[in-house]
Amino acid sequence: MYNYLLDKERLRYCYQCGKCSSGCDVNRLDGSFQPHRLLHLISIGAIDKVLKSADIWKCTTCFTCSERCPQGIRVTDILWNMRAMAVKSGHIPELLVHQREVLLKAGRLYSVGPIDNKKRGKAGLNAIPEEHPVIAKIFEISEVED
Amino acid sequence: MRYAFYIGCTIPVKALKYEISTRSLTGSLGIELIDIPEFSCCGYPVRSMDFFTSLVMSARNLAIAEKKGLDIIGICTGCMAILSEAKEYLEDPIIRNKVNKKLKALGIKEYTGSVKVKHLARFLYEDYGFDRLRERIIKPLNSLEFGVHYGCHYMKPTSAYGHFDDPSNPATLDELINLTGATTIDYPNKNLCCGFTIMGHAEELGLRLAAEKLECLSNIGVDAMALACPSCCIAYENNQKVVGKRTGKEFDLPVLYFTQIVGLSIGLEEEKLGFEFNRIKVDRIAKKLARD
Ligand code: SF4
Ligand code: SF4
Repeated sequence: MYNYLLDKERLRYCYQCGKCSSGCDVNRLDGSFQPHRLLHLISIGAIDKVLKSADIWKCTTCFTCSERCPQGIRVTDILWNMRAMAVKSGHIPELLVHQREVLLKAGRLYSVGPIDNKKRGKAGLNAIPEEHPVIAKIFEISEVED
Repeated sequence: MRYAFYIGCTIPVKALKYEISTRSLTGSLGIELIDIPEFSCCGYPVRSMDFFTSLVMSARNLAIAEKKGLDIIGICTGCMAILSEAKEYLEDPIIRNKVNKKLKALGIKEYTGSVKVKHLARFLYEDYGFDRLRERIIKPLNSLEFGVHYGCHYMKPTSAYGHFDDPSNPATLDELINLTGATTIDYPNKNLCCGFTIMGHAEELGLRLAAEKLECLSNIGVDAMALACPSCCIAYENNQKVVGKRTGKEFDLPVLYFTQIVGLSIGLEEEKLGFEFNRIKVDRIAKKLARD
């Protein structure tokens, strides 16, 4: 699936013009973060280097690079997939471990407890479920390739 | 006008003023937003864990709305971008078939692709119609000046959004705010990202991104920032003090949701627009309006 997606995201059409990096605000603030370099590393098969790098977690997913790319490459999505591949290869940032736990338990990104629902009630809003078991099921059946 | 209300994870816990003002505004305009308890997380955070799982999650939400025969309206730009981009990926029959197999295992027949997904602001612009909205404005906000922050996911990726607004020169939210009689300004870093999504991974970079826009709008001296996404609001309002501290600045810039602004202009009371939850005081705005 990943190779299929990378192909769909047009990785191999990159000609290293650097337009993605020159329009990236994270690159402007931190010159070592260079999306075009990351794409180059992936293309030459040095994907391990990318997966280990803190750089993939600096991308805001703002999509500016994808919009600017003259080759129609989905740069943001490619970098996003690198995160998922990093996680699969064991490079999981602390925050993600936590997010996954909450997602599996509460079915949402933030846990909801009685205090939250009380606050909602006071503001005239309905209570929301504290659990959403289907999320765990989605993870369970989707993470295995068939 | 009945729609499935896609509320997402963040709003019901961290953006009560957005939810309250949205419910009041749509209720008053006759737009019926139906709560769907079966909806889950849109899939955004899951894309950093497993893209395919994220697609299944998005597709499940889309398929639930389809089954109910309702199009989706949401107010989180992140959710709207993820659901819209999932729709785009799901146009590929190979991906769609794989995803549909998983949906079957979840007891959902299939995702067909028929459901439409729109942010409420876009819906007001394209479907409800500004002419119709203009007729409802009874308290014009002529004395107010806003700096609009669109948020990256409001119109990007443009391919997923049918190119409905121009990322290098966005206009639809400005036009919506202008409709209320308020002025909006063009400012140098209008298209800058709020930085929220990396505040957990690369905190300093995220805070610096937020600081740049807060500084620009504070220097210009607008009455408030206007926005349309709970994550952007957390970056600019909830985190405003932290951003200031870390960058050695002091900010005092009110942040309003477009639903609060439009709500005021159609004459809804402050209590119905969640202003009690605004963390940066809006007294100056209230005073200005009282003089009008
Ligand atoms: S803008 Fe596109 S073609 Fe140019 S370096 Fe970036 S990804 Fe490659
Ligand atoms: S999506 Fe990421 S890499 Fe692309 S411009 Fe935005 S921050 Fe930079």
